[in-house]
Amino acid sequence: MRNYVLLILFFLGTTLPLLAQTEDIYHSVNEGTIIGVGGYNLKDTYLSPGEDMKYGGWGLRVLNERMKLLKLADGQISRQQIFSVDVATTSNPASTANNLAGFVDYTLAYHYRFQILPELKILTGASAHGMLGFIYNTRNGNNPASAKMDIDLNISALAIYSFKIKDYPLTVRYQMEIPFSGVLFSPHKLQSYYEIFSQGNTSGIIKYNSFHNKFAIKNYLTVDFPVANYTVRAGYLGSYYYTDVNEIQSHIISNSFMLGIVKEFVSFGGKRAQRNANKLNSAYY
Amino acid sequence: MRRGLVIIYSLLFIFLLGSCEKGEMNRTPRENFESLWRIIDENYCYFDYKDVDWNEVYDRYSRQVSDTLDQYELFDLLGKMLAELKDGHTNLISSFNISRYWKWYEDYPANFSSDIKKKYLGENYRIAGGMEYTKLKEDQIGYMYYGSFSSGIGDTNLDHILYFFKDCKGLIIDIRDNGGGSLAYSDRIAARFLNEKILTGYIQHKTGKGHNDFSDPYPVYLEPSSRLKWLRPVVILTNRHCYSAANDFVQKMKLLPQVVIIGDQTGGGSGFPFNSELPNGWGIRFSSSPMLDVDKQHTEFGIEPDIYVSMTAEDMQKDEDTIIEAAIANLISRSEQK
Repeated sequence: MRNYVLLILFFLGTTLPLLAQTEDIYHSVNEGTIIGVGGYNLKDTYLSPGEDMKYGGWGLRVLNERMKLLKLADGQISRQQIFSVDVATTSNPASTANNLAGFVDYTLAYHYRFQILPELKILTGASAHGMLGFIYNTRNGNNPASAKMDIDLNISALAIYSFKIKDYPLTVRYQMEIPFSGVLFSPHKLQSYYEIFSQGNTSGIIKYNSFHNKFAIKNYLTVDFPVANYTVRAGYLGSYYYTDVNEIQSHIISNSFMLGIVKEFVSFGGKRAQRNANKLNSAYY
Repeated sequence: MRRGLVIIYSLLFIFLLGSCEKGEMNRTPRENFESLWRIIDENYCYFDYKDVDWNEVYDRYSRQVSDTLDQYELFDLLGKMLAELKDGHTNLISSFNISRYWKWYEDYPANFSSDIKKKYLGENYRIAGGMEYTKLKEDQIGYMYYGSFSSGIGDTNLDHILYFFKDCKGLIIDIRDNGGGSLAYSDRIAARFLNEKILTGYIQHKTGKGHNDFSDPYPVYLEPSSRLKWLRPVVILTNRHCYSAANDFVQKMKLLPQVVIIGDQTGGGSGFPFNSELPNGWGIRFSSSPMLDVDKQHTEFGIEPDIYVSMTAEDMQKDEDTIIEAAIANLISRSEQK
């Protein structure tokens, strides 16, 4: 356990010392860009104080993720970056008001990998995550929008399983991210943005968050399969986000079906491109 | 291959089933009545100041609620219940009507005539950022009429207006019948009339469900503009229809030494309103954050002018505005004293 904690702190630090050098093997990058459509359910009592009003609708998500093995701990550490943008349009049950929402998320994760079986890898680690967003109610006057800003640390885990069905290769991935500590922005109940931003009463609007006032989980379930010369990634992303801060209850729930393309490539940037020029047939260099 | 896909899609379906939340459609008159009463009970900010017994209101109106009420009858009943708050910032909003309480100006003399104002403006007046302006009394007096604080006015607009009045002895800002709008425009205009930052009042917000659960009053300051300013005599014209942001503007301007308020008491409306909604989708607006004056007093029921002047029928027959004439006389008198 102690080693595990040290590992998390180590990888979230700003200095990442290089350990063993494996010059002969290039560490490729696995990059997937997937687009999804799904159902959204939003609730924010800053926008409807005193009423437990849930807005339902649909949204669009674009997600780019990159994974790469690092030269750390004998190549057992991988880094994952996820950049996601999603927008949604929702309405109240009576369809008399709309909530429009938009979120930008960035996640930087480091995982230690355990090769349980030749076909199965379990990756565990931690991630730092930031989110900026808003929910905008088209009918409200002085409380028209609820701004979202979160920075948090997450427990992060993946299982990657490769198998074949009649010689057809498939790779299934399940991943979850659960924030356990962070800070977020929240006005006080019935505190106007005029009071916060025009008059500068910013007391108590940045709050520490953990499981006592926030629970969120992201579930990724994807399958990669080859189609002609492409690798297709299809899957599901369920994102559940609940907060209860400054007497404002909020939830953002989405269930999206995702589809996109994956590519595996070796990145030659800067001097590495020059150094390896003899191994490449570059159209540019 | 097919078996694998079946497994994958089955898993996705299970995830979806587990995550969907049903929207609650709660539309019975009783449920909507209870919801409205509770939202106001927990979030409205002037119960004690207005001495409103909200529990008594519940008893009186609850007896009238039955599930046989159609939506129009329910709307009228709930609208009447909200009117018990005597608050111009409190409305019930449906797709067929908006309930309102307007007695804060309907029960009083208008003290404003749009037709007579037009006579003063003439034909060649200018318009900038929602401000109509001209010069009166052989160009000695600048006159600007601002009918709504929802009409966006920019700093460049104000530069041009004040430059146009550069040779005037005094300035009239007529905000009669201005029902409010944005506090940002109130601040932007008021910032042209002072040289140093001043305290103009306080703002609070509800911190809990109790009728007296408020945050500590937070000071509100007005900072001077760095652009063209006006420090000569000013008269603000007011009537009972000056509400909300217009009331806020008067509250700030009244603190300045060169400013005199002439006309009738303002309508008030010092509660910063928030919106919410009922289960049936009707919107609600209600005062939730009290804005206090510099003495930490409410101005919800209006601000008295420095000089009470009413429009007389005799003057109106002559197409004269008694209040504008009083303002002109006041400005000329004050400019001659210097």
